[in-house]
Amino acid sequence: MNSQALIRAIATREFLARIRTRVFTITTILMVAGIGAYILLQAYVFNTSAASLEVGFVGAAQSISAPVRAEAAGFGETINVHPYASLAVGTTDLQSGTIDALVSGSGATTTMTVQSKADSILQTVLNDTAREQVLTQYLTQHSLPPGDVENQLNFSIHEHELTPVNAARIEQIVIGLLVAGTLYTTMIIYGQLVAAGVVEEKSNRIVEILLAAVRPWQLMLGKIIGIGLVALVQVVLIATVALVLASATKLVSTPTLGIDVVISGVVWFILGYLIYALLFAAAGSMVSRQEDATSVAMPVIFVLVATWIIALTVAAPDPGSTATTVFSFIPVMSPVIMPVRIAAGVAPFWQVAISVVLALATVYVFAAIAGRIYRNSVLRVGGRVKFSDALGLAPSGDKPV
Amino acid sequence: MTSYCRREHTRRQPGLWRFLGGPIGEDNAVLGLSHVTKRYGQLEAVRDLSFTVRPREIFGFVGANGAGKTTAMRVVLGVLEADSGSVIWDGVPITFAVRRRIGYIPEDRGLYPKMKVQAQLEYFGQLHGLTRKAAREASTAWLERLGLADRAKSQLQSLSHGNQQRVQLAAALVFSPDLLVLDEPFAGLDPVAVDAMTDVLRGEADAGRPVVLSSHQLDIVERICDRVGIINHGQMIASGTVDELTARGPVRYWVDAPGAVAGWYVGVPGTMLVEQDGSRWLLQFDDGADEQALLRIALATGPVLEFRRDRPALTQLFRDVMSGKAIDE
Repeated sequence: MNSQALIRAIATREFLARIRTRVFTITTILMVAGIGAYILLQAYVFNTSAASLEVGFVGAAQSISAPVRAEAAGFGETINVHPYASLAVGTTDLQSGTIDALVSGSGATTTMTVQSKADSILQTVLNDTAREQVLTQYLTQHSLPPGDVENQLNFSIHEHELTPVNAARIEQIVIGLLVAGTLYTTMIIYGQLVAAGVVEEKSNRIVEILLAAVRPWQLMLGKIIGIGLVALVQVVLIATVALVLASATKLVSTPTLGIDVVISGVVWFILGYLIYALLFAAAGSMVSRQEDATSVAMPVIFVLVATWIIALTVAAPDPGSTATTVFSFIPVMSPVIMPVRIAAGVAPFWQVAISVVLALATVYVFAAIAGRIYRNSVLRVGGRVKFSDALGLAPSGDKPV
Repeated sequence: MTSYCRREHTRRQPGLWRFLGGPIGEDNAVLGLSHVTKRYGQLEAVRDLSFTVRPREIFGFVGANGAGKTTAMRVVLGVLEADSGSVIWDGVPITFAVRRRIGYIPEDRGLYPKMKVQAQLEYFGQLHGLTRKAAREASTAWLERLGLADRAKSQLQSLSHGNQQRVQLAAALVFSPDLLVLDEPFAGLDPVAVDAMTDVLRGEADAGRPVVLSSHQLDIVERICDRVGIINHGQMIASGTVDELTARGPVRYWVDAPGAVAGWYVGVPGTMLVEQDGSRWLLQFDDGADEQALLRIALATGPVLEFRRDRPALTQLFRDVMSGKAIDE
């Protein structure tokens, strides 16, 4: 049996053993719910543009229903007009919730009745319309053609922004953080799962039987690939939910969420996961008990958490800054930082390419080091394996051939 | 996918065997350890250890805790690297490809607790080179044979200790290994389970797959092993068939002669009394003593109800070895 088939068998077992667990189901649901809640919060709490308003117009007020409706549309608000012959019927409907607001009277006596709080756009539009009604009457009485006056007033002041606010920028930060956050969370969870999986095989001694059949590096690689595929399934599930929700709530427009952002997210996930999974596997092989796994993996976790903090505090607020650019080249950080820059549209292709090459080189170097540590440590049961022994610097025969 | 089919045991006859003193011909050894030494720091776990295992043979390793049995087995498997010496398979130094054809039960049992029994066996079959289909068929057959067919879909951890041991055995057998290396396979098994396991092992050995096992249960070793090696402080102190080993002590005879009186045996030179139990006498011979002469004298005292060579049980022999009494080679 060739290496590929062996690694496939090992990876398949890891994948099936983990994807069927309750932990996978629960973490997936929690992450999907978390991302979903974040998007909905963005869409409905911070973004106050409501759907359509049901507005009743009583008697004379019906004459302004068309201009109100037209002007509200200009503000992006849809108004459905409900004509009423009597105030009583309208009030009953307002009380029952069939309509959101009831407009009665005309001119200066125009009255808006609402349940508790008036919609601000409707309020503005009604004020404007009523004033215009009064003004038109006044102008007509004084023999001034209202059309002429209106033409005189038909202008807007000139606006000049010294630092224009890019509307798309908030979207970009949201997308960048969603991508980086998903990558960070997945790497830290699945990296630690790799460490735990290595320790598990060591602590229940199955590794001795496994190594009678396969080479240590095959076992390590199979485990990393199998767990990585589980992570990938989760990432894809989360990304799909996020994309569907975000576009359904119109939180982000399609151009920002281009296919390039999605593809780069997947590429960076693979690179980042490999970098960290190798480190976690090496760390896990050095201890024999689950309770020691976290302490031996602490330096790795520390780097990952530091990267996330940088993503939140440095990269997201200013994706184009020099600091962010520098961090996006450091291989252990680039998988989280670079996606933020890519989403913000400030990463030139050549920079991304260099960063990918650096990350690939790091994967290669880490694979060699982790493979060595794993081979030297995985059969040593007992206390924590010394780092020098794990690297094979100290002479020792206690390792597999 | 290359699959390792059952190999024909075509014997090579290289010079190494002559060096090892291994026999040539049908009884040619298939596995040999040659002057293997393994140190852990200052401790010499195994020192200059040599032994051979032949086809269709069950070889039993006995020795006190820490004698070096497990280390020797791990060296055979290649999970440990020897500091010096070599492991020989079919006349040439063993390779990883051959090692993958060894069925192994380590001292510390190891299987995935939460994995289903049959899936687990299929996995080990695949790791040892079976196709998925072949692994499925083989695992089904072994579960059937070991009486675990109804537990195929159970998680391993839900099985009793004895049944988990059976699964462990099945995991070592599922890919039809060329050699079985079993560290303490009978530990913690009840007599019925021991019988079931010994039946399987005998069948495997008879089918040409030699078995190397270690055990503290010397009565079982005595019963099922064709040859035994006694290891102490990392060195092989004695090896051979059970009969050969037990014949190595002083020559003693039990004589049951109701008519005999004290000192009846003094007529045979070199004879001395070890023990008397009623009419039964245990007599020890010096070299060259004549047991037929003793029998004639015994018959002269009247009826002789028993006249039999006393062979110490392996347990006794083992205790003698451990207490430092030299075995007469």
